[in-house]
Amino acid sequence: MNRRLISWCMSVVMIVMLVATAACSSNNDNDKASSSASEPAKSAEPSPSPSESTQPAESDKPKEKVTLKFFTGKVETVDLMNDLIKKFEAENPNIKVEQEYQKDASSIIKVKFASGDVPDITTVYAQDYVDQGKYLDLSNEAFWSRVLPAIKELNTDMKTGKQFRAATNVTMAGIFYNKQIFEELGLKEAKTWAEFKSNLQAIKDKKPDVTPMFLAGKDSWTLGHLIEFMAHGVIKQKYGVADARKAFINNESDKLQFDAAGGGIEAFAGRLLELKKAGLINKDALTATYDNQKEAFVNGQSALFSQGMWVLGDLINLNPDFARHIGFSPFPAIVDGTQPVTLSAEDSVYAITSESKHPEEAKLFLEFLFRPENLKTYSEFLKSPPAFTDVSADWGPLKDQAAAALQAGVNIAFTDTPSGFSGDDAGRMVQELLAGKYSSSSAFASAYKEAWDKAWNATNK
Amino acid sequence: MRVWIRKVNANLHHYMALPAIVLFGLFFLYPLAQGVGISLTDSNGVTAPNYVGLRNFVDFFSDDRARHDVMITFYFALGSAPLLNLFGLLYALLLDRKLPGKGFIRAVVYMPAVISPLIMGYIWYFILQPERGYMSHVLRELGLGFLDGNWLGNSSSALAVLIIVNVWQYMGMTMIVYLAGLQGIPADLYEAAKIDGAGKGAALRYVTLPLLYPAVKINVVTNIIGSLSVFEIIVAMTDGGPGYATESLSIYILRMLYGSFTGYSTAVALILFLMILVPVALFLRFTRKAEYEL
Repeated sequence: MNRRLISWCMSVVMIVMLVATAACSSNNDNDKASSSASEPAKSAEPSPSPSESTQPAESDKPKEKVTLKFFTGKVETVDLMNDLIKKFEAENPNIKVEQEYQKDASSIIKVKFASGDVPDITTVYAQDYVDQGKYLDLSNEAFWSRVLPAIKELNTDMKTGKQFRAATNVTMAGIFYNKQIFEELGLKEAKTWAEFKSNLQAIKDKKPDVTPMFLAGKDSWTLGHLIEFMAHGVIKQKYGVADARKAFINNESDKLQFDAAGGGIEAFAGRLLELKKAGLINKDALTATYDNQKEAFVNGQSALFSQGMWVLGDLINLNPDFARHIGFSPFPAIVDGTQPVTLSAEDSVYAITSESKHPEEAKLFLEFLFRPENLKTYSEFLKSPPAFTDVSADWGPLKDQAAAALQAGVNIAFTDTPSGFSGDDAGRMVQELLAGKYSSSSAFASAYKEAWDKAWNATNK
Repeated sequence: MRVWIRKVNANLHHYMALPAIVLFGLFFLYPLAQGVGISLTDSNGVTAPNYVGLRNFVDFFSDDRARHDVMITFYFALGSAPLLNLFGLLYALLLDRKLPGKGFIRAVVYMPAVISPLIMGYIWYFILQPERGYMSHVLRELGLGFLDGNWLGNSSSALAVLIIVNVWQYMGMTMIVYLAGLQGIPADLYEAAKIDGAGKGAALRYVTLPLLYPAVKINVVTNIIGSLSVFEIIVAMTDGGPGYATESLSIYILRMLYGSFTGYSTAVALILFLMILVPVALFLRFTRKAEYEL
C-alpha cells in the first residue's frame, strides 16, 4: 500500500514538473515569436503596436498604454531622472516609464537577460552583449548630427562599426588636488613621476597632518581605475584611442604586453609600492572607503586623490566653500618617457535592447532626454560637460581646469575589460599588492596578464 | 468509486503533503538538476554552452584561489561553531535559574540575531574601521590610542574579527535552543544527583550535558550550515578583503558568476553544497547511535 502510494505521488510530481517546464519554455518561445513578428510590422508603420495593452485594441483608438522599463546603474541621477520621467509622461500620457536602479547593474543585467525580464532602455553596455545582438542599432538616428565626433567614435562598436548606444555627457578623470596646499608650498602640477613623488614628499614633510595621496582601497573599483587610467594609459597613448580600443577588445597581446618588463602594469605596481614605502599614501589605504576619500579631501585632511569628474557634485555638496580650492590635473606619466594622460570619455550612456517590445516609444524617450534644455539640466546637475554640440551648460567650477587638463595630457578612453576580469577584480588584485602578497612587480604583472587572458578566453571562444 | 474515496480519505494526511512535495520539487530538485547540468558545461550566460564533462570540477581542485577560499571558509566555521556553542551554552546555564533581569538579559543577547547580518556588518564596520571608525575615536579620546589596530586591514586579524562579530550576533540563537533543552530536563534528576552526592560540576557533567544532546545536535548542525555558507557579514565588513584574505566560498561563487564563468560557478556551488552536506550527514549518523546509547 505504502509503496504504491509513494510511486503514485512521485508520478504526480513528475507530471506536474514536466507540465510546468513545458509551460515555461513555451511562454518564452511565444514571447520571442511575437516580438520578432512585430518588428518588421513596426518598421513599416510608425504607430506603436498593441502588445502590453490594458485596454482592448480598438481601431479608432490612436495609442495604447505602454510601459517602458528603464534600468540604470547610475546612482547620482536617480532622482533627476524621476523628475525628467514625470515631464515625459506628462507630454506622453500613453507612455509610462519605470526606472529601476541597481548598484551592481552590470552584473544584475545578466540575470535579467537570462530570465527574460529584459529592460527596454538601459545604461548597462558591454561588448559581450553587443556581440550577442542584445542592443538595438541606433546608427541611423537623427541625433548623431548633434553629437561631438569624438564621443560618437567612442560609442561606435569596434567590431561592426555601428552605434548601439548614445552618450549624453563627457566625463574626465585625473588627479584632484588641493589648490590651497599647492599654492602654499609652491607646488606645480606634476607631469613626470619624479615631479609627482616630490610633490607628495613635500606635502608629507611640510604638512605632517595631511595625507599626501588618499586611496580608497576598500572600494576596489577605485583601485581598478588606477590601473585603467595610469597603467593602461601607457598602452593607450601609444596607439591612439581607436587602435587601443581594438587592442583591448581583441586581446592583441603584442600591443598590450601586460607582463612586459617596464610595461604599464609592472611600472604601476612598482610606483604604487614606492608610494606606500615612502609613507605617501594613507596608512589605512586598504580599509578606507570612497566616502572617506571625499570627506578627507574636502576637510583638508588629504592633498590629492585620483578620481573622475563624477565626484565633483558630491565634493561640492559636502563642503560648498571648498569648491574654489579644487584643482584638476592629468595623471603623471608612470613610465619615464611617456606623457601624462587624462581620461576623456563617454558618460551617461543609453542603449535600447533588441528584445524590447516598444522600441519606438523607447526612442521617443531618448529623444526627449536628448533635448537641449533637458541635457542642460542634466549636465548642470551632474557637473559634467554635455556631449551634444547644441547644449551650453554651466556645468561646474572646474570647467577651465578640465579644459586645461585635456590639453595637457594625452586623452585616453575607458578600457573594455572582459566580463570575467572587471575593474573590481583588478582592484582586488591591487589590494593584494598593497597587502604585500606579491613578491615583485613583475609577479603582479604576470598574474594580471594571466587573469585577463583567462577571462577573455572564457567569453571569446 | 466509493472504495476509492474511502482510500483517499484514509490517506488524506499523505496527500496533504503533496503541495509541499511539489514546491520542493519545483524550487529545489528541479533547479538542482538544472545546476548539475550547467556545471557540466562551459556556460558563460551569454553564448551557447558546450558540454565539458567534469572539467569545471577538476579546475576547482587545481585553482589556488578556490583552495584558499575553501580554507578561509573552513577556518571561519572552525572558529565560529565551537564559540557559538560555548557562549550559547554558558548564557543558557546562566539564565536557567531565578535571576532578576533574566528576561532582559535574554532579550539583549538574542536581539542581534534578528538583525540582518548585512546591516550588522556595516554597523560593525562603522565601529571597527581602522583609523576612522568609532572605536578608534573613542580610544583616542580616552588616551588609549595605542590599543587601536589595523584589525580589518590585516589579512590575519580580519578573519578573527569576522568570527567574533558572527559569534556575538548569533550566540543568542544557540542560547535559545540550549535554554529550551535545559528546561526539558526534569528537576528530580538534579535532586537525585544531589542525593547521590553530586556537586554543581558533577551535576553539569552527568545530568545536564548528556540530556542536552538533542539541543547540541540541533545547534551544531545549524552552525555548520550557517558558518560554511557565510556571505553577508563578510561582504559588509571586508568584502572578502583585503585582497582575498577573507573571501569565503560563497563570495567566490558570486564573483565567478558575475564574471561570466557560469558553468564553473555552478560547479563550485555544487561542491559547496556537498561540503556542507557531508559533515552534517556524518554528524547526524554518528550521533544517532550515541543517542540510543544514552
